[in-house]
Amino acid sequence: MTRIPRPTAEEMIRKTFARFTDDEIIPKAREMDEAGKFPRWMFEKIAKTGAYAMRYPRKIGGAGGNTTQFCIMVEELARGSMSVAAFTAMQCLMGTNFLYQYGTKDHHERLLKPALRGEKVASFALTEADAATDLGGAKTMAVRDGDHWLINGSKTWITNAPVADFFTVLCQTDKTQGLKGLNFFLIERETPGLYVSKKFEKLGTRATEIAELAFSDVRIPLENRLGQDGQGVGNLMRILAVIRTMTAALSIGLARAAFECSKRYSLERTQFKKRIGSFQLIQQKIANMATEIWGANLMTYKAAEMIDRGERALKEASMAKYFASETACRASDEATRIYGAYSYSMEYDVQRFYRDCRFLLFGGGTSEILQTIISREEGVY
Amino acid sequence: MKLVVLIKQIPNTSNVRIDPKTGNLVREGVTSIMNPEDRHALEAALSIKDHFNAVVDVISMGPPQAIEVICEGLAMGADKGILLTDRAFAGADTWATSTALGNAIRKNGPFDLILAGRQAIDGDTAQIGPQIAEFLGIPQITCVSALELSDGKVVANRIIENGCERIETPLPALVTCLASLNEPRYPTVGRILDSVLESTPIEIWNAADIGVKAQEVGLAGSLTQVLKTFTPKGGRETQYLEGTPSDIASGIVQFFVDRQVRLGE
Amino acid sequence: MSILIQQDRCNGCGLCARSCPYQALEMLDKKATWLEDRCTLCGACLESCKVGALSGEIPTREAPDFREYRGVWVFVERQGSGFHRSAFELLGCARGLADFLGEDVSSIMLGADSDDKGFNELISRGADQCIAVNHPALGQYRTCSYTHALTHLVLKHRPSILLIPATTIGRDLAPRLARRLKLGLTADCTRLAIDPQERVLLQTRPAFGGNIMATIVTRYSRPQTATVRPGVMKPLDIDSTRKGVIVFEDVNLPDSVDVTKILECVMNIESATNLSEAGIIVAGGRPICSEQGMSVLKEFAEAIGAEVACTRVVVEEGFMSTDRQVGQTGQTVRPEIYFACGISGAVQHRAGMDGSRYIVAINRDPDAPIFEIADVAVVADIYQILPILTRTIKDYKGLSITC
Repeated sequence: MTRIPRPTAEEMIRKTFARFTDDEIIPKAREMDEAGKFPRWMFEKIAKTGAYAMRYPRKIGGAGGNTTQFCIMVEELARGSMSVAAFTAMQCLMGTNFLYQYGTKDHHERLLKPALRGEKVASFALTEADAATDLGGAKTMAVRDGDHWLINGSKTWITNAPVADFFTVLCQTDKTQGLKGLNFFLIERETPGLYVSKKFEKLGTRATEIAELAFSDVRIPLENRLGQDGQGVGNLMRILAVIRTMTAALSIGLARAAFECSKRYSLERTQFKKRIGSFQLIQQKIANMATEIWGANLMTYKAAEMIDRGERALKEASMAKYFASETACRASDEATRIYGAYSYSMEYDVQRFYRDCRFLLFGGGTSEILQTIISREEGVY
Repeated sequence: MKLVVLIKQIPNTSNVRIDPKTGNLVREGVTSIMNPEDRHALEAALSIKDHFNAVVDVISMGPPQAIEVICEGLAMGADKGILLTDRAFAGADTWATSTALGNAIRKNGPFDLILAGRQAIDGDTAQIGPQIAEFLGIPQITCVSALELSDGKVVANRIIENGCERIETPLPALVTCLASLNEPRYPTVGRILDSVLESTPIEIWNAADIGVKAQEVGLAGSLTQVLKTFTPKGGRETQYLEGTPSDIASGIVQFFVDRQVRLGE
Repeated sequence: MSILIQQDRCNGCGLCARSCPYQALEMLDKKATWLEDRCTLCGACLESCKVGALSGEIPTREAPDFREYRGVWVFVERQGSGFHRSAFELLGCARGLADFLGEDVSSIMLGADSDDKGFNELISRGADQCIAVNHPALGQYRTCSYTHALTHLVLKHRPSILLIPATTIGRDLAPRLARRLKLGLTADCTRLAIDPQERVLLQTRPAFGGNIMATIVTRYSRPQTATVRPGVMKPLDIDSTRKGVIVFEDVNLPDSVDVTKILECVMNIESATNLSEAGIIVAGGRPICSEQGMSVLKEFAEAIGAEVACTRVVVEEGFMSTDRQVGQTGQTVRPEIYFACGISGAVQHRAGMDGSRYIVAINRDPDAPIFEIADVAVVADIYQILPILTRTIKDYKGLSITC
């Protein structure tokens, strides 16, 4: 029998999620954005593709996919809607990672597996009012009280908070230990003392809901501490490269969306009886967008490849995220210039790209902190 | 229960065009996809499998790269794939295509139901389904918008001009499916990763494997030949109307008054 | 076996690339290039080259002698007590082909209780002969019964051409019949002609969603069989002086021939919008997908006595029902006037309406492909034009404009 090479998993994942984005997300993207609500129906539709389970091993119901494949998927989703890509990323990675790594069998059965099937929504709470880039400034305290942890404090900018069924929350257990005194805790939504604020009104990614959490004497079992004592930040660092590379992939998706509509419009729109694409200043914008997207693409998938080989890749992931998110912002800015006044109209998608791209600048580390990190990695600090 | 689904890889026709200068088919940027209605046929088979103890095989004929749609079929949930590929199959009309596919289905063994899309959007002939049913000597129901299986028979709604027939036929049978039949599932990530592994069964068959001679299939076995192809052109003289909306409205009315064509009751 | 290209003789004219039905020749740097993996060795390119740059060994295939096959047949589809409109369209087309060949046109009708009244109508529309089979099993269309009966007739009378409407029934029946009788079959033809030299039927049909037209011949089987898209061919005017003969045939049709049962047949007569018979059609594209859009479109259609129609997206968005969709996957229409309002004119849509007598296109995008086939082109927003056009036409009412 003849042997014929099969397509690669990467090609098939791209093709599948490209079609999903074109057929399911893009036609509804504006509607979801305008509604400003978590589109549970879309969350469930994505669940049917097994996306949330992509990164996890087969034995707990996962697909056993790698970082490259994961990045391809979220890149395609982000091309359709940054909101959708953002809550998908939360469910696939930050919201479930610590529960998978350090949760008990009961946690896995009751929460993780349903989350991977899209039956429960996961969330991840890191940021506080006074502790964002500076994680060590976290004031939310977890204090041991007999066979329970008692949690007090608050968290802000929590993606999926209004709709989540469980949270992975970073808390201080020992103020004297600095970063070593930080641990992750699993807190389920129905736990008494957990309060979720109204969702935030925000500029972009309007179909992901973000809110504040407040903890007032929240009592949780001892096994809800996820990971060895004092390992919270260390464990976070282990997936930081993945988070940044993934955010870079989200950025590429958005940049491509802005680029594709810019190309189309340059060929459609006429002024002075010529297609505007025939003007060199428009061509310059198109060329710059194409070049930067290509660069972001190479950096991002190189970083993903390194992670898949088991390398640390923190510098490369930081560079990719820094460059790709700035590329997305420049591309959506240039798109608005190509569209002229029409970009100012809510009728066109360009304004959504322009609003949504700002999200990429702080999720996964601001450009400023990333520059600091890259410089430090280069030995200059 | 054994279900066989016929799928075809086609160029995505929404972006096929011909270069007016060279007359070449512009292949750049043209992606290959699974024929949309075939996807609905596969979904119908998979939803039968969800409820009954059934095995689903997907069969496709095409160039070697058509293995992509076989993998996609497996990623959606099919159990086994068969790809018919051979230079001898090239240039086949529907007679020669149904000869090859019919023989392959026969070689694959007994079956209860064959499902296919009503038509492929690159050719739009809708002939392969009925021709295979005739080749195999089994009843057919085309243009199916609803499907039920029970006690060795199939009951289907067939959409006809201005209406719908409810038809019953004993198994084995062949049905061709419309898009309104169902909403196809997407491949799942886990199955995608499986489908590309050599351990997931895909059989590759050539003309000899299915027991046909090269003269019976492909262009040589075809009863029709394509004499020429050309790009259709409009051939109208377009008159542009400009000015204020009222000028344009009067212009349109005047156009038809001049041509003595009646507007309005 | 291969196609050889003599580079020094090739003048880069591109005729071979255009002649190749399989896109197996391309022009690269002004020279023809052969793409082996696409070539089927059909030989079309060899004949096209004017400078003798192409050579190759093409397997020859002898066409059998089909001189005893004569006559152009039309399978007529009944609808209620009358005929599907395709019957007259196909008869009109068959008449032209038969006259060219010097042969007769026969209509073939299968049913349970056909009577003479219908036959006269077929004759007045171009048939020389009406062949009919009456059998209780043929009252309703079922694939295998009809295939069985038609097979019997074809084998007995040996026509040279068989035309079947590309309706749901025709497209179910024709391939089954073709496989049984070993016939070549061309689907969904939009143009039919006879090649003057070879005297074979040239069957032209759209492919690749209407992007490409292909002309197909059936050299190795008879009758040359084609399904013909309804709404494309022109029926002849009724001529009641025409004469013809009526022949009833008997067919042995045991129950075992067809194992299918029609349990139920629901005709939704109410929503039966007959776009194909509308004199004027007002069709909308994406911009009318709103309540306001629909009312603007409907008011205009009412003012000029038109049917409303739409593109696929409008159906998908739920603003009109499928029976009002025009295009490749919807209806084929050929009204006197077609107003395309906010329709960009993708080939899939054009395939269903480019036979219209006059096309008026209104679209904001000056590069919309619809303008390529429009008689009257207006580059403007439909919301600016349609209300004023509606008023202008209302003002014209009472003014008699003859047809």
